[in-house]
Amino acid sequence: MDKKLILLVDDDPDVRLSLRLPLEATGYAISEAANPKEGLTAIKNSKPDLIILDVMMDSATAGFQFALDLHSEDPKSELKEYKEIPILMLTAIHGTTPLRFSPDQDYLPVQKFLEKPVEPEVLIASVKELLGE
Amino acid sequence: MSGQPPRWYPSTNFHSSQKGGRSLVEAELEASVAWLIGLRWLAGIGVLIVTWSVNAIFKFRISPFPLYLIGAVILLYNIIFYFTEQRFKQTSISVKGYIGLAQWQVGLDWLAMVLLFHYSGGIESPAILFFIFHIIIASIFFKPRTAYGFTIAAILLVWGTVWLEFWGILPHRPIVGFIQEPLYKNIWYVLATLFFFGATGLISAFLATSINQRLRQREEEVMELTESLQRATDRLQALNDGARTISSTLDLTQVLNRLVKNTAEAIQVDACSIRMVDATGQILEEMAAYGLSQVYLNKGPLELEKNPLAREVLSGKVVNIPDTTQTNLLQYPSEAAEEGISSMLSAPLIGKNGPMGILRAYSRETDRFSDDDGTFLSAIAAQGSIAIENALAYQAIETLDATKSQFVRMVTHELRSPVSVMRSLLRTITAGYAGGLNDQQSDILNRAQKRVDALQGLIDDLLDLAAGKVELKSHGEAEAINLEDVIVQVMERFEVIAKEKEITFEWYNQSPGVLISTKATKEGLDRIFNNLVSNAIKYTLPKGKVIVSLERIGDEAYTIIEDTGIGISMEAQSQLFQEFYRAPNAKEIEREGTGLGLAIVKDIVTHIGGRISVKSKLGKGSQFTVILPVLKE
Repeated sequence: MDKKLILLVDDDPDVRLSLRLPLEATGYAISEAANPKEGLTAIKNSKPDLIILDVMMDSATAGFQFALDLHSEDPKSELKEYKEIPILMLTAIHGTTPLRFSPDQDYLPVQKFLEKPVEPEVLIASVKELLGE
Repeated sequence: MSGQPPRWYPSTNFHSSQKGGRSLVEAELEASVAWLIGLRWLAGIGVLIVTWSVNAIFKFRISPFPLYLIGAVILLYNIIFYFTEQRFKQTSISVKGYIGLAQWQVGLDWLAMVLLFHYSGGIESPAILFFIFHIIIASIFFKPRTAYGFTIAAILLVWGTVWLEFWGILPHRPIVGFIQEPLYKNIWYVLATLFFFGATGLISAFLATSINQRLRQREEEVMELTESLQRATDRLQALNDGARTISSTLDLTQVLNRLVKNTAEAIQVDACSIRMVDATGQILEEMAAYGLSQVYLNKGPLELEKNPLAREVLSGKVVNIPDTTQTNLLQYPSEAAEEGISSMLSAPLIGKNGPMGILRAYSRETDRFSDDDGTFLSAIAAQGSIAIENALAYQAIETLDATKSQFVRMVTHELRSPVSVMRSLLRTITAGYAGGLNDQQSDILNRAQKRVDALQGLIDDLLDLAAGKVELKSHGEAEAINLEDVIVQVMERFEVIAKEKEITFEWYNQSPGVLISTKATKEGLDRIFNNLVSNAIKYTLPKGKVIVSLERIGDEAYTIIEDTGIGISMEAQSQLFQEFYRAPNAKEIEREGTGLGLAIVKDIVTHIGGRISVKSKLGKGSQFTVILPVLKE
């Protein structure tokens, strides 16, 4: 059985490293992107089974926008074949953004939130849960 | 009947202050009319008694019938006056109505007097003297002109009667036996008596009216004085009330709005405004207005350079513009005219650092404002200035506090990201995802990680504290939360740890079946009880007890977290809720700790509108009581 592919979208290479190590050790294949644009290219190159997405990148809500585009309900969306890829979103709940985060199908099509810093065990458990393992 | 005759005068500028719904003039008129009616009963009865005694006791011969008739008629028309007066009292009759009634009374009295005079012997009648007091009554009651009118009418009537009797046109009705020789035909006697009667009447009228006028003037002065005293008292009261309302808030907008409203009401004008010098010192900004139209308020900026009035007021003067069409001090004269502003009064608002702005009252009347008004407005402005300065100072402090908290939040957030990443990276190593380590390496990394964890905790607490002060909204909107749910959740969270330490860990709802909810954020409440329960377990030695209870007392929810832990010294208790404070014995138990936990708890409790207290004995245990307002169903 092929390793499942997880795409990490985060502008901080250190964060990507801290996510990558435990996930690779658990037996997942990892691809990385530093921003939503790179992320989109990576998705088109090889469709991941799961995306781990940072909320704040270029702007305070770049991650939100990326998730919204990807999971758009619009049938004409050019990304509609990626609509079903689950997204795990990393947030800084103590952050300066006044937005409240919670998974909400209408508002934000994201499957799960984790607050940074993420414990490796919690990360692995969440990933497994989203992949249905 | 009062010994002092009341007086009334149809004065044009009478005192209008209402007493029990009636003016002073009306009250006086009413009393005077009643007084006259009261006297008249005596007069009527007097006529009847004297007529009877002249015949029965003194045995003078007189034809009594006309005299009895006069007495009866006096009593009869007095009855009519009495009931008319009663009716007047119930309905609100104008001053004119009462004067009419009084004139009718005096008129009829004098007619009766002339008849009495005729039927009691004409020129020989001793009743002629009675005219004098009638003249005095008229002079007291009426304006001098009316009084002289009545006097001259009386003189003419007496003269007419006497001459008609003299010429035999009217029959002479003597009191037989009273005077031996008839005098009514004695020309010298008649001439002399009529002359002296006329002169006495006119002199009496003159004396009575002059004395009366002097008294009236005095009374008017007293009234004016009373009125101005009353006005002064009203204003002092208004000033006092105003000061209290205005100072009862520190919100600048509220202070200004109350100030304009109170000023307009106190000076009794249509409109009032406050303008304040802006940061450039060149423009007067509209800060608050009462009774002015939006159009007028939007007329344009008040520029000091183009506004001589503003410059004059800001130099510290109270400026009265009695007629806005007759001045060149205004920047927007046509707009003022359109708004219907005819006069205005401006006083400077002066703070510690000089003039801050202008308090201005507007009126539709020209020449509305007196010097008194100027002094009064100036007093209001002085008080208002203090309130405005206080509000400004408070605003500055609040802004400073917000800026400081914002700064702390920014800095902390910048600190948090790298620490968070550092921690995650370290975790990948200590958890073995990056290959094996020897024992020493592992130990060193574990120590490093502990320090980073503590740092992370400190930063998170700092952020919470700053967040609480800047905007609690970032923790979600407050909603009705069932306290029991929150406590149960917290209890479940600590069950495992309590069990590991073999701590008796129990909770009781002392008000079972009663919904105890409070308006707060779920995170906030969770934070309160999480911190308190976590502390209780942390600082209680194994095999101890931690008991949590919830009870509704009145409109408040009492949550008590009690432990048999290490306790808190009296000295520590007083500083417990201060930021960064940690009790010495707590440090012994756990070296790492931010000292922010209880500060945050107190912050949240205060935000919710509750209070927190602690009771503790060193070595015995502690009891924290959180009292929160209960949301009423």
